[in-house]
This record gives sequence, structure tokens and C-alpha cells, in this order.
Amino acid sequence: MPEPVVSATGFNYRYPEAQGPALRELDLELAEGSFTVLAGSSGSGKSTLLRALCGLVPHFHGGDASGELTVGGLSVREHGPAELAAVCGTVFQDPEAQVVMGGVRSELALALEHRGEPAAAVARAVEEVALAMGVAHLLDRRTETLSGGELQRVAIAAALVGRPALLLLDEPTSQLDPVAGDELIWLLRRLNEEWGTAVVLAEHRLERCLPAADRVVAIERGAVACDAPPAEFLAWAAAEGGALATPVARMFSLAGLGPVPATVKEARESLRGAGLAEVGAPAAEPSPEPPASRLPWRRERRGTAALKARDLWLEIEDGPRVLAGVDLRFEPGEKVALMGRNGAGKSTLLRLFKGLQQPTRGRLERAGGVALLLQNPGDYLVHDHAAEEAGEPALAAAGLAGRGQAHPRDLSGGERQRLALEVVLSGGPCAAVLLDEPTRGMGRRHKDALAERIGDLAAHGAAVVVATHDTEFAATFADRVVLMGPGTVIADGQPAQVLAGGWHFSTDVARTLGGAGGALTPAQGARLLARELVG
Amino acid sequence: MSLVPIYRPRPSPLHAAGAGSTTALCVSLALVCALYDHPVVVVAVIAAVAGAGLAAGVGSEIASAARLSVPLALLVTVINPLVYAEGNTLLIRGGSVLGHRFDITLEALAAGGLAGLRVAAFVMPFALFAACVDPDELLRSLRRVSYRSALTAALATRLVPVLARDATRMGDAARCRPHPPGRLAVARAALSGSLERAVDVAAALEVRGYSAGRRAARVRRSPSRHDVRVLAAAAAVACAAVAGKLAGAGSVEVYPRLEVGLGPAELTLSALLLLAAALPFAGRSARLGVARA
Repeated sequence: MPEPVVSATGFNYRYPEAQGPALRELDLELAEGSFTVLAGSSGSGKSTLLRALCGLVPHFHGGDASGELTVGGLSVREHGPAELAAVCGTVFQDPEAQVVMGGVRSELALALEHRGEPAAAVARAVEEVALAMGVAHLLDRRTETLSGGELQRVAIAAALVGRPALLLLDEPTSQLDPVAGDELIWLLRRLNEEWGTAVVLAEHRLERCLPAADRVVAIERGAVACDAPPAEFLAWAAAEGGALATPVARMFSLAGLGPVPATVKEARESLRGAGLAEVGAPAAEPSPEPPASRLPWRRERRGTAALKARDLWLEIEDGPRVLAGVDLRFEPGEKVALMGRNGAGKSTLLRLFKGLQQPTRGRLERAGGVALLLQNPGDYLVHDHAAEEAGEPALAAAGLAGRGQAHPRDLSGGERQRLALEVVLSGGPCAAVLLDEPTRGMGRRHKDALAERIGDLAAHGAAVVVATHDTEFAATFADRVVLMGPGTVIADGQPAQVLAGGWHFSTDVARTLGGAGGALTPAQGARLLARELVG
Repeated sequence: MSLVPIYRPRPSPLHAAGAGSTTALCVSLALVCALYDHPVVVVAVIAAVAGAGLAAGVGSEIASAARLSVPLALLVTVINPLVYAEGNTLLIRGGSVLGHRFDITLEALAAGGLAGLRVAAFVMPFALFAACVDPDELLRSLRRVSYRSALTAALATRLVPVLARDATRMGDAARCRPHPPGRLAVARAALSGSLERAVDVAAALEVRGYSAGRRAARVRRSPSRHDVRVLAAAAAVACAAVAGKLAGAGSVEVYPRLEVGLGPAELTLSALLLLAAALPFAGRSARLGVARA
């Protein structure tokens, strides 16, 4: 039995001036070389636990800590972050906020230079970690020229350069597209296996990281609610109402199938075992639907469009081509998911529709006002009290009735999101509502609430266009999916047509069922499985 | 294009030389601005920096910084005659407000112009420094002297564009509101956001061992041919400036009559400044194939 790299016994922590504890009676042991996923809803205490493991809690944030928590044999109450840095590397959610130096090479060297390591040892460690993390080609780049995915890899390499026994990551994929997110998780798994570094990863998108995990620790209201291997955790999550269960686990649970699988591969094997091999087999032939591109059913519409773009171009002077001849039309009451990898031009398209930027060529038509919620809801909140941001009706619509005196920065991420949405909608009815990545860092409960609000807006006649990487969310709310390649529309159709046949831009349910029946959500998948079982 | 020049590796002798060498050249050019207010000498400094900037491939950055300094220079030029009424040549006889006469004299206007020119000239060597000196390398070289100050400078350099992006984002968000808030409210929120970002950066530094307080290992690096030339240029500029000052070159009398002496000393000093700034780029050995990162 390997020595635990983390050991907690009755650990409690309360932030300064907070009414209740953020962590309570925490008992936990994580073995050396393990890969652990921290699950939990927003505000459950995942980030606080990570901050306790790296020593920021209590040394940086203050507050009261009691009980025992050791990392690599060092008590976090007695040893500060600088001493714990020799044992654990930490990567926060926003890589922009943790990159300190101007050059990548200097950034990777910083932690070792703080330790006073000789220059030759620093140079060698930098070279090795850069090769291991696949960032060797970036070593001579300036950090401000890196993409989000590159910056995240550099941040992880900087955390790993001292070969820590433990790597802590707080939602490292939240700013990445599905491709970059998947790559990152598997890179972490490889490092975990080859270097023996224990990994503790806090994530909302469990379906992405459970296949790589050895165990899952679910945190609820600051305490450990479940500590088990992925399959057992999923069975527990399904029994607890499914808020933390992956889509495939929810599908199995709804269909009454067991045991609950942790990965798509396990799910397929399980389906084969249940005699549903043909449902779970990858589609041998393309879907009988026409390939998802410009679909005729879109072109047939002749009414006034809520938003219309014709031959839209945006070319940056001395820079890349951002949009290249985009033709799109959004109808009133339509719920559209705008998808594509980072840099495909989704956010730019929304900004053009709102008028924050002007196209270099092409025509834009708007049937009325356009509300745009950009990626950081906190940017909209500029006053000292929530009530000053929007009136009482808007606060009530945001579920913040009676919290008008709260400072917007004291609201949770989900609350800020809802308030910011009501702020942009406070000008009256809009022809279109545009949301840019609204589900970053959001738990399932909040996503469901947002999907409901989107439904309300569409029911009142607004075209709702949501730029998102979250395929599961898109499958939940959208009645149309537009998939963008670099600057162009590469697919446009109903969700079942665009998302069922894809790989990265596809839901876990669709992957498990091989796109059968166009099922995307757990409920659709469960209905399909139930039909097959009865048949 | 950022208003504040940002360092980017380029194939130029100023970029290839060590951070200390190029900093020395920029400091020596700033020293000339500190010692002299003679317009010919000050213009020579501007020309020397502009020439070096162009040769180093950062002409647009220097031009951008120069544009930024023009309003400041004009402000100084305009304010000086309103504050000082000395001088023999009266241009405008103003009224009297609260016992203070607002007469505008040619000498006060000229003194304001010279001071403004000097302000603009002061900006130039710092723009050259920001565009050509790798802040990370400077931090490394100063680590053993004053690590915290050097890190603060490096962080400030790194965070300026980040905070500028934050402010732009908040401005965009304000434009998205049906009733946009006042600029003051947005500026206050941007400031508070920058403080939050500073806390995040502090946390990031903590978890990377910042407060371990170990003395950094010494990094030795042999001077390259570019270091020699750039340091020689810096020494030439500094020596010429100090020697000229001791010899009484560049004297300017503004009050009560404007007297700007222009003789061989000023012309020689100006020529020396231009030649010294060109030294790092002269000859075959100054050519570079690939930029040193």
C-alpha cells in the first residue's frame, strides 16, 4: 500500500468573515500516483479544498482552520505555500492570471529559480518538462502570443517543472474547446502514469475526465459525500438524483440498465451484454439523414429573420482572416447552438451581430434590438449593490429577490451569470439574445435553469443564439446547431443531424449509441434503449 | 498597436545584446535629457533614439510612444507661460485674477516649448528600453540585487496588456447594456477588477515558491560582440554628455531674454550622440541571422 500523498483527518476551514465553514470534518486519503477527480456542484468546496492542499488556505486567504491536513507529510497549517510548492504544483482555472513572466522559458524556470537551483539544473528541468508537456516549440515565444490551450499547457508545465509528487488543477478545461480539453486530460493521465505524479482535478464536466480517473471524491457543502472508484461513484450519483452523474450514467439509470458504466467503452460493452449490440455499435453507414450542411428546411423560410448575415467577412489588417463569407439567418423563436473549436469565429460573429465590431465586407440585418451576454458576466456588474445593476423585477427574474444590497462580486458565478443576463435584457423585448459561453464552470442544476430561461426567451419570440463548447448543453436546449470551422459555417442543421454523427462535437450518449436514432440526451437515449429492450 | 511598447524578440543588435547592455544605452540617452535643455542636443537625442529604433526594427513602437508624448509636451508648453510671467518680450497682456497677472511672454512660451521638448525626449529612451529589453532577462540579472523590485517591474510589464484587455472587455460589456453606466463607474469597476487580478497573481506566485526567499543562483554569461558595441555606445554617450556639461556646452538662458548658444561644442556633442547610437548597428559584425530569444 503506497504512502498517502494527501491525508486529512477532521479538517475544517472557515473563510474570514464567512458565516459557515467552507470545509467541514474532512477525512480523506489520496495515494501516491493516484488520479483523483473532485466532483461537486458550484460552491460545494472543491476549489477551497484545492487551495487548502497547496497551502493558500489558510496562509494566503486567512480564516480559521482546525484538524489535520498533510500534503507530502507537511501539515498545511504549519507550512505555507512556498514550502508546499516543493511537494505540489498548482494550476488555477484562468491561466492568464497565473502566468507571471513575459517569455515561456522564463515562466517555466521561475519556480526553480525561487528555490535557488543552479542554472544548469534549471535549464535541464525546463527542457525536460517542455518536451513532456509538448510545449518545447513554444519555449522562445512570448506568453501574450499564446492561445488559451497553449497557455494552459505552459501553466501546467510550470507547475510540474519541479517534479512535484502532487499536481492540483482547478477546472483546467473550462476555457478550452472539446478537442483541446480531451487532449489535456489524456496528457495528464500520461504524466500520471509515466512520472507517477498524483493528480487531483476539480471538474464540472465529469464525462470528460472520469475515463482517466482512478477515483472520484464528491464534495457537498464542504464535506466528502462520496469517495469511490468512478463506477461506484456514478452508481451513488445516480441514486442521489443524478446531478453529478454523467450523461451515459443517467441514460443507463433512466433505462433501468446496470451496472452504471464509467466510460463510453464500458457502456458499449454493457449494451452488448444486454443484447443491444446493434444499438451501441458504431454506425457502419452514415445516418440516413442528409449530411448536415445547408439544409433545405432552413432556406424555405421566407418571413422576417431576427438576424441575418450575408457574405460576412472580417479580415484583420496585417492579421488572420476571422470570418470568410458567412451566410446565416436566425428566425424569431429559434434556439441555436453555435459551436466550433477555439478561434473558429463564434465570439466574433456574436460581436458583429451586436455591433461591437464592424465587418470588413458583407451585410447584417437585425429585426430589432440585440442583447449580448459576453463570456465574463462579472464585466457587466459595475456597481456596489446588485439592486443598482437592475431593478427589482430583474433581480426577481434572476432569482435574487431580497439580495439587492449584496455586492455583485460576492455573488456566486451562477448568480452573477443570471444577474448579468437580466441586465442585458432589461431594455425590453429583443429580436435576438446572444450568449457567449454561458455555461463555463456551471453545474448541471444551473445549466438546466439556463436552458429553461432560454426556452422562455424563445417562447417570447426572440432568436436565442448560444456560442458554446458544451455539446451536452447544446443537445438540451437547442433546436438548431451551427458548427463553424475556421471562419466559415461547416454544418447547419437540427441537433440530431449535426451532433449525433460527430466525434468531438457529439454528446456522450450519441457516442455510446453510435448516433443511433439521433439520440443525444440521456432521456432520448433511455427511450431508445427501452424501445429496443421491449422489441 | 499598444501605446506602451512591448518587448518582442527581433533580429537586431539591441535585442541580441544582454538586457544590461541595452538598458545602459537607454539610461545614458536619458541622462543626456536630464543634463541638457539645449534644443539642438535634445533633438539629437530624439533623432538618435528614433534612428536606433528604426535600425532595431521597433520604429513603429517608438513612433507610437512619441505620439503619446506629444499631448504631454504640448500641455507643458501651454501651462508654462500661464504660470511664469517673467521675460522681457510681452506677447499678450492678460488680465488679473485674484491678484495674479496673466501676461504671456515670448521667453516663458519658449521655456515651455523647451521643457515640452525635453519631456518628449525623455519618453523616447524609455520607449526604446521597453521595446528592446527582455524584462525576463533584466529580472534575472537584477535578481541578486533587488529581486522583489525587479519582479514587480517584470510583472507590471506583463500585466499592462492584460489589464488593458480587461478594461476593453468591461467597456464592451458596458456598451452591451441597454442603459450604459457612466465612464467613472466602469473605470472604478476596472480598477477593482485589476486589484482582483493582482490578488490572483499574488496567489500564483505564492504557490510557486515566491516567499521561499532563497537567494537566486548566479547566472554567468560571456558578453557577445553586440554587448561590447552596445556598451561602448552607452559609455560614449555618457562620457560625451558629462564632458560636454563640464565644458559648459549646451547652455541656455531663458529669462529675462532668450539666449540659446549654438557653437562647435553643441554641434559636436549632437554629432557624437548620433554616431554613438549608430555604433551598435555599424559594420558587418552587427548583422544577425536569427534573433536571440
